[in-house]
Parts: sequence; C-alpha cells; structure tokens
Amino acid sequence: MEYLLPTLREKREVDSLIRDTLDKVLVLRFGRPSDAVCLQLDDILYKSARDVSRFATVALVDVDSEDIQVYVKYFDITFIPSTVFFFNAHHMKMDSGSADHTKWVGTFMRKQDFIDVVEAIYRGAMKGKLIVSCPLPPERIPKFQLLYKDV
Amino acid sequence: MNQKKKKNSSEQQQFEYCEVCRLNHNQGRRHNYFPSHKTSLATLLTRFQSKLSDVKFFLKTPMLLRPEHAHQNRLWCPFCNSDVLELDSHLACGNAIEHLASVEHWKSVKGFMWKYGGGMDRVDLFRISEADYAKWEKKCKSLKTEAAKVESFGPAFEPLNNIHNELNDDYVNSFQQNNVNFLNFSVTNGVVPLHSYTNERAQVSGSVLSSASEAGPSLHNMSGGIQVRDAKYLKNSSDYMENHHCSNSLARECSSYGYLTSRSVYPGARIANGEDISLGFPKLTQISSTSQEAIEGNVHTGAPPPWFDATKGNQPDLAWKPELRDHVSSKAGKSSKLNPKRVGAAWAERRKLELELERKGGHVNNNFDADWLPNFGRVWQSGTRKESRKEFQTENKATHKADHQSEMLMPLQPYVSKRMRRDASE
Repeated sequence: MEYLLPTLREKREVDSLIRDTLDKVLVLRFGRPSDAVCLQLDDILYKSARDVSRFATVALVDVDSEDIQVYVKYFDITFIPSTVFFFNAHHMKMDSGSADHTKWVGTFMRKQDFIDVVEAIYRGAMKGKLIVSCPLPPERIPKFQLLYKDV
Repeated sequence: MNQKKKKNSSEQQQFEYCEVCRLNHNQGRRHNYFPSHKTSLATLLTRFQSKLSDVKFFLKTPMLLRPEHAHQNRLWCPFCNSDVLELDSHLACGNAIEHLASVEHWKSVKGFMWKYGGGMDRVDLFRISEADYAKWEKKCKSLKTEAAKVESFGPAFEPLNNIHNELNDDYVNSFQQNNVNFLNFSVTNGVVPLHSYTNERAQVSGSVLSSASEAGPSLHNMSGGIQVRDAKYLKNSSDYMENHHCSNSLARECSSYGYLTSRSVYPGARIANGEDISLGFPKLTQISSTSQEAIEGNVHTGAPPPWFDATKGNQPDLAWKPELRDHVSSKAGKSSKLNPKRVGAAWAERRKLELELERKGGHVNNNFDADWLPNFGRVWQSGTRKESRKEFQTENKATHKADHQSEMLMPLQPYVSKRMRRDASE
C-alpha cells in the first residue's frame, strides 16, 4: 500500500503534515503493512482517498518505525490499525460508542463508512466541535476491548 | 426595425448553458465578458494546464504503467467533456496523449475557445502537436522492445501481490465456496452476481441472496428449495438482515450469527502477543507499547552523523510543499467564507500567513522544535487537550532522564536577548 498512499516513518514528517494540513481533515492510519486487517483498511482508505480529497488528506504511519514510537505512546495506540483524525492541528474525537473516543480502532466495513466518518468530522470541525458522534450504526463499528492502562 | 427588436427579445429569452460557470443564462454572447465567467474560465484553464504539464512530462519520458496504477491515472478533458481512462494502455498517460493529439480534441478545443472566449491564440497550449506525438510514439516503440528484451530474460514486472494473494488460503477458499453457492443459487433467480473475491462484493452478492429470500415465504423454505452445501450461505444472509434492521423475527433469530459472519468476512488477524480479544469482532493485532528507546548510535556504530540527519529531516517538508502551495493559494480567496469559529481557526490563519511569507522568499523561522507534539486528548485523561499534552511531555521527559541521565548534554548556546530574538523573527 505504500506506493499508493504516503507513508510516514519519521516524527518530523508526521509533525509537518499535522501542522501544514489546513482546513482539511487529516486522517492518520497507524499500522503495519504486514497486518491483514491493516491491509483491508488501507485498501478502503486508498479507494476513498480521492473521493474525500477535497476535505481530507490521508496518510499512513508505520508503527514499527523507531522515530514514531513517541506518537505511538502519546496516542495510546495499543491496537493496529488505529486511525487518528486531526483538523488544523487539533485533535478530533469521535464518540462511536466504544471505549476509545480518541481514535478509530479497527477497519471500516466499506468505503462509504469511511467517507461518512470523515465527512461527519469535517462538518463538526467546521462548526467548531472538537468531538462528534459517529454517523454509523453500531453494528458496523468494530468492537474491541480496552484494558485500563498499567493493569 | 421591428423585426430586429423581435429578434433581440427572442435571443434574450433563449437560455443556454455555460459549462464554464455551470449555469443557465439568457445573456447570449455577452455572458463571456462577465467577470465571473472570466475568472472561472481562467481557473478552469489553469487547472487543466497544470494537469497537462503532468501529461507532458510523460510525453517527454514515456514510462510503462503498472496495471494497479492504471485506474488512478486518468484525465478529464473539459473541452471534449470526456474522461480519458488509462485502463487499457501500457504506458503512463498513453491514452491521454493520444487523445490530446487527436483531431477531434483539436476541433473541440477550438470550439470551446470560440464559444467561451478563451482567446484563439492559446489553442495550441491545450493540445499536443503532431511532431511531439510522433516523437513520443518512436520512444514508446523503443521502450516496448526493451521491455520485451528484459522479459525474455525474466519477468520485468510480475503482477504484484495484492491483498487477496496475501490472505490465508482457507479464507479465500471459503469465499470461493460462497461464491459458488451464490452462483448456483442466483442463476435460478436469473440474477448473476458480480464474481469477485473482495469483501464488498461478497456483501453485495449476499444482499442479492437475501433480498430474494425476503421475497420468498421464509428463509427455511428457500433453503429447502435449494441445496445449501455450506452453512455460510445462511450466515451471510443473516448478516445482511442484521445490517438492515429487518424487523423479521427470523432475522432476529439469525442475528446472533451476525458477528460470526462478519468475523468470517475478515481475514484472520495474527495476534502479536498471543492474546485473543474474543469479542466477536475482527481480531485486532495488539502492539505492545514497550519502550523501544532509540539507541543513539555514534560514528563507530555506523550511525549517520547528526548533520546528515538534519538534512534528511528537511526533505519531507519540501516533499509536502507543492501540494501545500496550491492548497494555500486556492484557499486564499475562500478563507473569508469559512466559519471563523471552526476548530483551529486561529492556528490556520497563523500558519497560512507563515506559509505565505515563506513562499514570498523570506525564510521564516519555521524550524519548529523536534519535540513538538500536537494537542491530543488522551484516552485516560480528563481535562483539555493541552493539559494532556503537557502531562505526556513531563512523563516522556521523566523516562528520558531516567534512561540517559549521564547522556543528557545541554547544547551550549550564546545568550540572545528576547528583544533581539523578536527582531530576528520579524
């Protein structure tokens, strides 16, 4: 998937992308290309990247990279793939009924789901909201269990 | 005289569609001289010209196109109102170049310019001349013969592994079985499903199935009618029903299978820590956040010296610049329309100004700290996002200090007064 979507391996790259994506949703996928679920998500991201290009930028981040570990720790990424959303260098949360509002954990069932989520975030951000609720029905949101940290 | 007036009025009433402005108007030829039309025409032409410059790059240096990139590589020709696809060509922008060199395109460019007033002298900018086209064809021929030579030694570009090849076999097998079932089934209905292995398609074919089953008296009857070799068929249709909130009691019964099915839809994920999160949904890989502190190498261990690292760090900035530049310039006029209360509006304005300044030449003090982090609301934290960032930074520093207490070397810098710094930044 790396030849299809920009893949970031350095913290500096991630920084500059977060800082310089203005008035657009930045979708950062944390994962590794060897993971099957990641590949599925990548496929969906790649297929819809062009459709959302007017209001969103999609980039992949390699969690195995040494330089990225700061972000992996900071974003509390425990499952891959995890997708984090930014708007004007501000973190956007999404209440999807799961334990983690700060990121999207897992993949999307289909292309339209991803586009809906990004659109909801964009619309929310344009109205000044830092958290939006998920537009998808609960059965199409991947479930996961979050363990309390340090337990 | 009277006739002329009549003619005028009838002309005024005739509405025509302006493709450039995308509106119907009854102004006749006058419309071409309206400022709004002129600006939108200019933007359209510049946008197309930027795309053309990409194509012209491939005109100079023809390249082979990988089949998986083919659908990305396409060109919308606003003059001919047609999408030039590259699905069947082996060369990058091959069809686009052919199209741009064709006589039809030449004619429609002329027609377009005449109709919308772009200036007939610029017609040549939007096409590829025959001489260039002939050169390109020659180059392509040589390229193809070369490729053939290489292939005779060994496959030059074998089909790249896509997702489906990388999946475990039984997964693919199960889908093949499913698909076979769908085929058997839907042929009886006269509906041929899309034959493909991707998950989305499988869902589609599942919907074909269950829509049929809805039409039937009950699922059991239907399944009785057809030989169901695989239990997955039932599951698939139940998954569909669940997705669509079927109020059918049968669907509710089946909905317990829904998770099972969706799991079967997902390829089995490997679990790194061997820990199974069996909540019914796709098993996600859990990555251990063990602190892999960067082992800072030195010259003796073969690590690049720090100044090399610094130049490397600057490159990504440059790589992202071109996109940004268009972005900034295109958004410049738009920003007034954006909601001033949107998230990070202040940041966006500030950053835009900085980028604008940078574009004008002056190297603004853009080198942000290497430890810069965005505000991020963490999972287990309450309070503002800034607070959680601060907390993380203190955490991070604490661990860092514990690790290399001795290695912490403060770089010595000459004292620069605050006023001096402010002056320099301005």
